[in-house]
Amino acid sequence: MSASIAPECNSIKEKYDTCFLKWYSEKYLRGNTTSNECDELFSKYKKCLNIVLKEKGIESMLEDARKSMKDSEAE
Amino acid sequence: MRVFSSTCTFDYSWEEVSAANWRKYCPWNDKSTHVVAVDTLSRAVDIETGILRTERLITCNQSVPQWVLSLFGGSATSHVYEVSYVDPSSKRVTMCSTNLTWSNVLNVRETVVYQPSSPNPSSTTEFNQEAKITALCGGWQKIKNKVEEASVERFSQNAKKGREGFEAVLEMSRRVFSEQRELDKTKLQS
Repeated sequence: MSASIAPECNSIKEKYDTCFLKWYSEKYLRGNTTSNECDELFSKYKKCLNIVLKEKGIESMLEDARKSMKDSEAE
Repeated sequence: MRVFSSTCTFDYSWEEVSAANWRKYCPWNDKSTHVVAVDTLSRAVDIETGILRTERLITCNQSVPQWVLSLFGGSATSHVYEVSYVDPSSKRVTMCSTNLTWSNVLNVRETVVYQPSSPNPSSTTEFNQEAKITALCGGWQKIKNKVEEASVERFSQNAKKGREGFEAVLEMSRRVFSEQRELDKTKLQS
């Protein structure tokens, strides 16, 4: 798996990514789109990541990008 | 504005490609070394359509031409925001991305689509990539042209590396998957 922008989040990210990929290939692609077995790992990973995104000022850049992307998201 | 586009076919099923795509920038890909981090920002499945929507932040570290740095300042680290959609019923992955860094100078919008490729849709996957690159720095057409040219050049180099690196990831994914299957089989038998 690839690294996180925040080294301190790497280990929880790795756990989440592994969980997601397993869910994606074994459940999602086989038609079971509803399960949420990786949610807990994801919320831990997100908690770790969000602190760094704020610190680095990336959060505000993301807000702008989300706004401008909305137009092209009509698909 | 300049447009960069490329297309290619991978000799792997759409299911394999769409799964391996999530780890395109893992250590198995030793070509795309400019991508240093990939973080997932949000992820949700639409209940009605089954479409999986993912937001990611991609962090790159690459050498920027000196003349660019001296004109616009900045650093070698840049960020890309990506929104992707997986539609399992029509077997289509669509990824849209835009640059977060340098956004006052340059606007890069990339769309990538992975879908089953004819005439062998069950075992081959078509990759289509299009990027629209627009320099924004006011007035100076000559500089704008140069910025766009340099960006397209860099984009096409990275696209080539990305393709080669992804081939390696696909090969490794298939190998690991079949090893895992063998392992599961022996476990079941014993």
